[in-house]
Amino acid sequence: MAAPALSQRAEVAAGSGRRARRRPPRRRDHLVGWLLVTPALVYFLVFLLYPALSALYYSFTDWNLRSDAGWVGLANYADLLFDDVKYPHFWRSVQVTLQYTLLAVPMTLVTALVQALLLNAIRRGANLFRLLLFLPVVTAEAAVGAIWRWLYDPQYGLINSVLGLVGIPGQNWLNTPELVIPALAFIAAWQCGISMIIYLAGLKGIPGTIQEAAIIDGAGPWQRFWRVTFPMLRPTTFYLLVTGVIAALQVFGLVYVIFSGNGRSVTGGPEQSGLTYVLHLYLFAFRYDAMGAACAMSFILLVFIVIVTALQFRFVKQEAS
Amino acid sequence: MRRAAKASIYVALVLLAAVSVVPFLWMLATSVKHGQDIYTKVPNLLPVDKKTGEWAATLGNYDYVLGVGGLGRAFVNSVWVCAILVPAKLLVDALAAYAFARIPFPGRDKLFVIMLGGMMVPAITLLVPRIHVTQALGMFDSGWGLIVPNVASVLDIFLLRQFFLSLPGELEEAALIDGAGRMQIFWRIVLPLSKPVLAVVTITSFLFHWNDLVWPLVVTNDPELYTLPLALQQLVASPDGGRAYYIMAGATLAVLPVIGVLLVFQRRILQGIAFTGLKG
Repeated sequence: MAAPALSQRAEVAAGSGRRARRRPPRRRDHLVGWLLVTPALVYFLVFLLYPALSALYYSFTDWNLRSDAGWVGLANYADLLFDDVKYPHFWRSVQVTLQYTLLAVPMTLVTALVQALLLNAIRRGANLFRLLLFLPVVTAEAAVGAIWRWLYDPQYGLINSVLGLVGIPGQNWLNTPELVIPALAFIAAWQCGISMIIYLAGLKGIPGTIQEAAIIDGAGPWQRFWRVTFPMLRPTTFYLLVTGVIAALQVFGLVYVIFSGNGRSVTGGPEQSGLTYVLHLYLFAFRYDAMGAACAMSFILLVFIVIVTALQFRFVKQEAS
Repeated sequence: MRRAAKASIYVALVLLAAVSVVPFLWMLATSVKHGQDIYTKVPNLLPVDKKTGEWAATLGNYDYVLGVGGLGRAFVNSVWVCAILVPAKLLVDALAAYAFARIPFPGRDKLFVIMLGGMMVPAITLLVPRIHVTQALGMFDSGWGLIVPNVASVLDIFLLRQFFLSLPGELEEAALIDGAGRMQIFWRIVLPLSKPVLAVVTITSFLFHWNDLVWPLVVTNDPELYTLPLALQQLVASPDGGRAYYIMAGATLAVLPVIGVLLVFQRRILQGIAFTGLKG
């Protein structure tokens, strides 16, 4: 019984060559294809596309979760931007977020690049060091916030103790408005592991022959870095810059944990110095029930992110040409 | 000169690694100290009695946060959420990715591009209406609310699709000739060949959801449902928040499983990061 079936199959295969397929009918393939993407598609429609469109709609309403949404046109946008009685801390949150981004992103990239260059220069122990430097990234932001609140403790924190050893007076980091952003940016740089790994991958991608040629031409290590390595890393740096800025503009979890201590309601730290844009948005959405305004804030942020990203692309293009 | 350069590289790396790791050691040390022993002028990594200098480690802080602090329940919740969410998400994403990579059906490529476009919308923009949808579906403040709204990821579909595209098509064609159905091919050929990328997606998903604070924060009110990061945040915000020994015990509970995963799967994770950029 088995033999005829086998030979039959062989005939089919031999008869029409390698391309021969006994494919299921096309229509069945179509059906299977759609069936397999259906769960993901339903998810996409329900939890991505619909929310995105309804966020835009709600941004023109005075919606809170309990009432029906009433159309108010551009009022939310106008109030956020111009009415500093209704939203007294909106511009403060913009300022805080820009300061944070301008400080945290460069600090993160420089730290990551230094770490990657050092790791790339050694053989022995490279894996261990890479693992240790990566550890802060995989840590939950709730835990990171908790740990750093304790490290920054003005009286008994490790940071002040270590600074004391070199004769620098201790600071009340998280309660001094001017120090809050630098303290947060330092945590971001501490968590630079992902950028470090991506830089490392970029460094591995630079052909050794180019470095050798530079050495033969008599370039010192400093020259080799500025003339060869760093230019070759430009695409990596650009990718990290764009994604880093997008992430920094949305920083939330960490500040939420750090500035929600001791049972006080979240205020965003001393003089709102840690009131980031998304923390401000969160407060209005979930504490003050101003969902419509929160949606408007999220679209202002979206537009801002698009503009900043486009500018970055443009800047890089110009520089390349 | 060369030797001096090498040495200075190692010195720099040791210093940087110390900055990375010491906060965790400090966390661990604080978590096993008695309350009165943590407030010292000179920092001490060892859990010793402040006055007598004798060894005085305690697990009492863990006892407290696991029980009264609510972290025991939260730990169990986090395990449950990840145990259901991560495999479910992997299945949904892999099925879709396979269809996008291998099964020609009308509208496929347009659909894929549209879904990729959805990835560009920042999470915060979606947050408020997502809560609304979750409410409308009757999942708000429930275990389902923690799981279902996260059960697919466009980024993961993209990654899996890229990998599936790289598999040799001959294998599938041979199987099709032998009369295998699409699902058989998916289970018996494609998935077994894709273990590396499946591992990367599984691990990064686990890390992301184990650590996630924002979604549980907005979707749950009932402390019975809190996941570990949220329970830890609540502990920080509670009147206990000033008690570093409790908080550090809680942070240790949140961090240790992740360190375990990192140690076991380090190569996969670090390789994965290089081309995924984790999540976010």
